[in-house]
Amino acid sequence: MKRIISANNLLLVGIVVVGAAILGMATSGQFFGPVSMTSFFRFVSVPILIGLAQMITLCVGQLNLAVGAIGGVAACFTGVIVTSWGVPPWIGALVAVLTGAVLGLANGLLVVGTRINGFIVTLAMSQILIGVQYALVGTRTIERKAWPELAAFGRSDILGIPTIFLMTLVVAVIVALYFAQTVSGRKLLASGGNASAAQLAGISTDRALIVAHTLSGLLCGVAAMVSISFLPGVNTTVGGDWLLPSFAAPIIGGVALAGGTVAVLGTVLAAMVVRLVDAASPIFRFDAEVVNFVVGAVVLGTVALGKLREVQASRHASRIRSLRAEAALAEVKR
Amino acid sequence: MTVALEVRNLRKTFPGVTALADANLTLEAGSVHALMGENGAGKSTLIKIVTGVQGADSGSLILDGEEVSFANPLEAMAAGIGVVHQERNVVREFTVGENIALSAVPRRAGTVDWRRVWRESKRCLDMLDLDIDPRTPMRELSAAQIQLVEIARGLYRSAKVLLLDEPTASLSNDEAERLYTVVHQLSAEGTAIVLVSHKLDEVFAHCDAITVLRDGSTVMPSQPIADTTHDEVVSRMVGRTLADLEVEEREVDRTATPALELADVSTAAGHRRISLAVHPGEVLGMYGLVGAGRTELARAILGLDRVVGGEVRVEGKPVRIRSVRDALRRFRIGYVTENRKEEGVFLLQSITRNVAVTVWSEISRALGFVPGRAERSAVQAQIEALDIKISSQDQLAGQLSGGNQQKVSLAKWLAARTKVLIIDEPTVGIDVRTKRAFYELIWRLADDGMAILLISSDLAEMVTLADRIVVMDQFIVRGVVENTHDYPLMSAAVMSHIHGSSVEAS
Repeated sequence: MKRIISANNLLLVGIVVVGAAILGMATSGQFFGPVSMTSFFRFVSVPILIGLAQMITLCVGQLNLAVGAIGGVAACFTGVIVTSWGVPPWIGALVAVLTGAVLGLANGLLVVGTRINGFIVTLAMSQILIGVQYALVGTRTIERKAWPELAAFGRSDILGIPTIFLMTLVVAVIVALYFAQTVSGRKLLASGGNASAAQLAGISTDRALIVAHTLSGLLCGVAAMVSISFLPGVNTTVGGDWLLPSFAAPIIGGVALAGGTVAVLGTVLAAMVVRLVDAASPIFRFDAEVVNFVVGAVVLGTVALGKLREVQASRHASRIRSLRAEAALAEVKR
Repeated sequence: MTVALEVRNLRKTFPGVTALADANLTLEAGSVHALMGENGAGKSTLIKIVTGVQGADSGSLILDGEEVSFANPLEAMAAGIGVVHQERNVVREFTVGENIALSAVPRRAGTVDWRRVWRESKRCLDMLDLDIDPRTPMRELSAAQIQLVEIARGLYRSAKVLLLDEPTASLSNDEAERLYTVVHQLSAEGTAIVLVSHKLDEVFAHCDAITVLRDGSTVMPSQPIADTTHDEVVSRMVGRTLADLEVEEREVDRTATPALELADVSTAAGHRRISLAVHPGEVLGMYGLVGAGRTELARAILGLDRVVGGEVRVEGKPVRIRSVRDALRRFRIGYVTENRKEEGVFLLQSITRNVAVTVWSEISRALGFVPGRAERSAVQAQIEALDIKISSQDQLAGQLSGGNQQKVSLAKWLAARTKVLIIDEPTVGIDVRTKRAFYELIWRLADDGMAILLISSDLAEMVTLADRIVVMDQFIVRGVVENTHDYPLMSAAVMSHIHGSSVEAS
């Protein structure tokens, strides 16, 4: 097993602690009050889930621009079948997850079947799905009183920690185990790390792409289910603001954009960092634009920093090599 | 005579490999200078450093009496160094003319001066007697035509020094002759030319001087061609590699059922009626020049390219191999690739995962969980068997030396208990000592009953390793030679198969 506590994760834990402390001081301790803490953990669930969803497509060298649209359609579809068709809310929740998985599967099949770049496939898919979402709910909002059981689940907590946050952590642990311990997860990493080597080792890279997109969609479905249970209602805005945070969490969390790596803990921690920036906005009266600006800048900064480190490491390595070469030459001359 | 370019004590290392140890070359103006050496001797690295593609670790370049160093290819070009690289570097979406003029597009008032693009590129094509319209899209050309356009590109900017890296590798005899006419014309005008080639006859017919590299060092420094002979050049190229290694006399039972047999196999890639058989315990060499169709045949055997005719037999039974997975799981055929970085190892993943990738499905338990201990012990067995030098199984493959990476790439096939192993160019870019260890390893695997199909462009390696050599050229088997391990004899036999065929063809 790789070390779980990497330098990057330590840094992220540090940022979370310092950030929380600053917010605590600015609110004279109120931020750490039960109400505020509960809401923090409740609101961080969706960013974690969609961050993991994006991480899975990144690890096979793809991306998913339809995370928000898949989540939005899954949430609205559930809202419609519960209110109009009388489907029991718990079944509806399950349908949300399945809808996500099916839409992800569609992405995967399109990418493999047409050989069109995943960027285009998921971009087009997201536009189509936004249309579907609008067709489902139009301009209305389906309020949560239609699913009292789910809403109660969304408000419930265990020892003061929201149940939906605990469920999110369980999902994260399953994802981590999947990549660390199962054949399927390892095949995803292998084909993302080096597609031709994977192919020659008997791994179907096509299957890896389909599995990755399906799992990504499934996690978007879970995020939709969580949204249904704690939001006041569902409408066309659900999922609309998921894209940036979905990339921010894995990238800040240390996932290589080229594919072949995952960082579950890093993604979870980074989602918390992003959530802290969000939580700071009402306290410091930031505008929404400022929050987006900060998150965008942090993503750019992280990637730039990673590149810089890479360049320095290779320079360092080549300096060592030439020093060794000189030493060897001196040896020969002697 | 004035010296156009001098290369002094050039050294270049990559992680785990010394590409150049001490390379020297003195190039006189107006001369045609051959640069020879086996695969991996450092010829291409030398060319890349002279043309600014890569930087040297130490040593110096002296151009027209002044020490120079190039940070990038543009600087080298500006200093008057032209090059035709071995790899194709064309933009397939552009026209022939645009490709030729790519390094310095003629401009007028800030926009492309198309009239000059077409005129200048036509001039280059005419020099080579090429009847191609500069407006033709590149992708419509044949492989040989593309090669000729690459050469035309080298002529586009008048260069003081022109380097040609295996320019005739995929040309017909007529096309090669035309190329050499231009080469002599340029040298008469004062251009100094460095010619990298594997073809001894061409070198002796067209060059004035010769430099031989072996294992990154100059072993024959800038000699007039008249002062040397074919035999001397070959022995310098091969050097101690052969002398050092005791060739094992091996007994192979060829009456046994072949582990893998091809009978009149034709493929979608273009092979015609290929027949060959490799027996358990045998090392069957497949020799040919670049582009002879050897790697493509391996791909067809593995199910990556379609077999359109004939029969593939595994242990005597006709089979249809549909995918690599099929080849590996059902028929136990493995493939050690030529480009280990590109296709052989997962650089960012641990040794454990790199080796165990072929056995996960076999050892996994419920829900696809891989038992960590079983995995590590399976990997450990191969690490010990192959003597791979690592500090821990958790080390990333990218941190290993070239030789150890190659072993890791091999280990996954041993872990999967393959019966037939196709090994493609196993020692390219590997130093002599590791090379030797590798040869012994291949023999040991064969002694243990594995059937080995060895693909190599390195004739010395073939003569050392193989029990029999299949000579391939233009996707056809030209002949099968029983290996006597006598280099000059074998070289003559193999070459006669390749050249004999091209005489027939023309």
